Amino acid sequence: MTNRVKTVPRYNKTAKERLYLPAIFEGLKVTAKHLFVNVADINAVETLEYPEEQPTDITERYRGLHRLTHREDGSIRCVACFMCATACPAQCIHIVATERTDGIEEKMPQIFEIDTLECVFCGYCVEACPCDAIRMDTGIFSVTGKRREDFVLTKEQLLAHKSAFGEDTSRA
Amino acid sequence: MSTLSIVVTLATIVLAALLALLMIPVLVWLERRVCGLIQDRLGPNRTNLFGFRLGGVVQSFADVIKLVVKEEYYPSHIGKGRWLFVLAPMITFASALLAFMVIPFADDLVLYGERMKIQALPVEYGILWYLAIGSVGVIGMVFGGWMSHNKYSLLGALRSASQMVSYELALGLGVISMILTYGTIDFNAMVHWQSGTVLGFLPAWGALVQPLAAIVVIVALFVETNRAPFSVAEGESEIVAGFMTEYTAMKFAMYFMGEYVAMNTASAVIVTMFFGGYQLPWLSTETLTAHFSAVAWTIVVALPLFVWFFIRWMKKNNTVRPTVSTDWGRHFETKVLSVVLIAMTVVIDLILIYISTLPEGSAATTVAVTLLQIAVFVMKLMAFNIFFIVVRWTLPRFRYDQVQTLGWRYLLPLSLLNIFVTAIVVVGVLS
Repeated sequence: MTNRVKTVPRYNKTAKERLYLPAIFEGLKVTAKHLFVNVADINAVETLEYPEEQPTDITERYRGLHRLTHREDGSIRCVACFMCATACPAQCIHIVATERTDGIEEKMPQIFEIDTLECVFCGYCVEACPCDAIRMDTGIFSVTGKRREDFVLTKEQLLAHKSAFGEDTSRA
Repeated sequence: MSTLSIVVTLATIVLAALLALLMIPVLVWLERRVCGLIQDRLGPNRTNLFGFRLGGVVQSFADVIKLVVKEEYYPSHIGKGRWLFVLAPMITFASALLAFMVIPFADDLVLYGERMKIQALPVEYGILWYLAIGSVGVIGMVFGGWMSHNKYSLLGALRSASQMVSYELALGLGVISMILTYGTIDFNAMVHWQSGTVLGFLPAWGALVQPLAAIVVIVALFVETNRAPFSVAEGESEIVAGFMTEYTAMKFAMYFMGEYVAMNTASAVIVTMFFGGYQLPWLSTETLTAHFSAVAWTIVVALPLFVWFFIRWMKKNNTVRPTVSTDWGRHFETKVLSVVLIAMTVVIDLILIYISTLPEGSAATTVAVTLLQIAVFVMKLMAFNIFFIVVRWTLPRFRYDQVQTLGWRYLLPLSLLNIFVTAIVVVGVLS
């Protein structure tokens, strides 16, 4: 067996390091510098005054709140194939299918609900959808409500959400 | 006792109570604000009363209201021991508060031939009182941990007790070397000793005369107050909240506030023993009284300058960024505060100018010197409290065994060595 022992250098050997106090003062210098710089100009602190200032760094890949896409004629894209509900690890998608009578497709959802309290925002429903009917590109990151029922998004609400990045109709 | 001395004594007690109790919300707020600013955040800055935020200090009062109206919860297994369970945080709080009462805020006030101590408890064994009462606090923690009857609480209580035992030795021995140096156990006499100079030009502060004892005692006091980097008695990742785990609402707040009062007390002791107490460097009480008009004129000039800089700082920083639509009345607040500050400055300046025209040694001069010393003491106290806070947000916590190693293997021998050296110098060389 070859000699593969590697001696890792230890860093607390010199007297200055073993005394510990110089290191404490080095640390105090760093924190005190941050403190004084920020006290001198508090608006230069890189942070968001959140409810008034909104984040500006939401990209197209950000998984925000879901939306259901439309066809060119404005009708719903979804064909109620249940792929998203099957793929959902949180089982938060509830679909009831109905027959579509306008001749464009055979099926469409009568009820399409997403319980955002259950949803883990993993994006598997978007991956699973064969029709590009569900997307998470709304850029909405905060959902508020006063009752649990407020957090269950209905089909109408999901259809009403707009894409935050232009392009509204589905690509499929 | 004359009416005068009764008035002075009452005023001193009220001052001590205010300094200890009003400091709690300020310190809690400072802790959060300083922590935020160190970490490049803002900290609590929203809560306001009628638009007055005072930098966010109102948040602490909101927190107190929240804690008062929260549900009181008692673990069911306490049974008949509930009184002790409730008493435990009170012991911790009261001991920290009582220990603060022996700190002198100013030199003895001599008015019309009467000598009055500016000390809530006018005792002459201050340091012994602090050592005795200050360490009673740990009994409250042990009661709380034991009564809670769960492993986290018990471990936390054990840790705080053992930590206290280990560092009480180093603290006591460090204090003994200071007693040897000063030749007294009276806080006021200690401050008197520190009003001279050492080596001709440095102020004779304890920290400069006895740097080793200063380090030992300051480290030991950090441990006594259970503050980071020695906060092993509580730790979310190991033992939840330590001895406070089962405590809710105001009982929890008592422990929490007790910690801040203890920190305030420790700062006061450090300032009094090592940083000249209420004395300005190079200016003893006699010098101040004898040359008060010169001091008064210095303040008359310096105070408006300081206030001007403060108002400028406030105008710049009590604002929001241009991207924020509303400023929540900060502009109005800045205006009102500026007017109040300027009015206060004018009043103080007029009073000082009036006093400087009086003959030296009059009653007004003596009282003014006392008030000046109280102001100096409060400023030093605040500086040390902020030091405590900055240290907490700088250093990572020690592991429990490292705390014990530091106490027994480094601080204890160091303080013993320091006693030997001090004794040799004091008894062998100086006498």
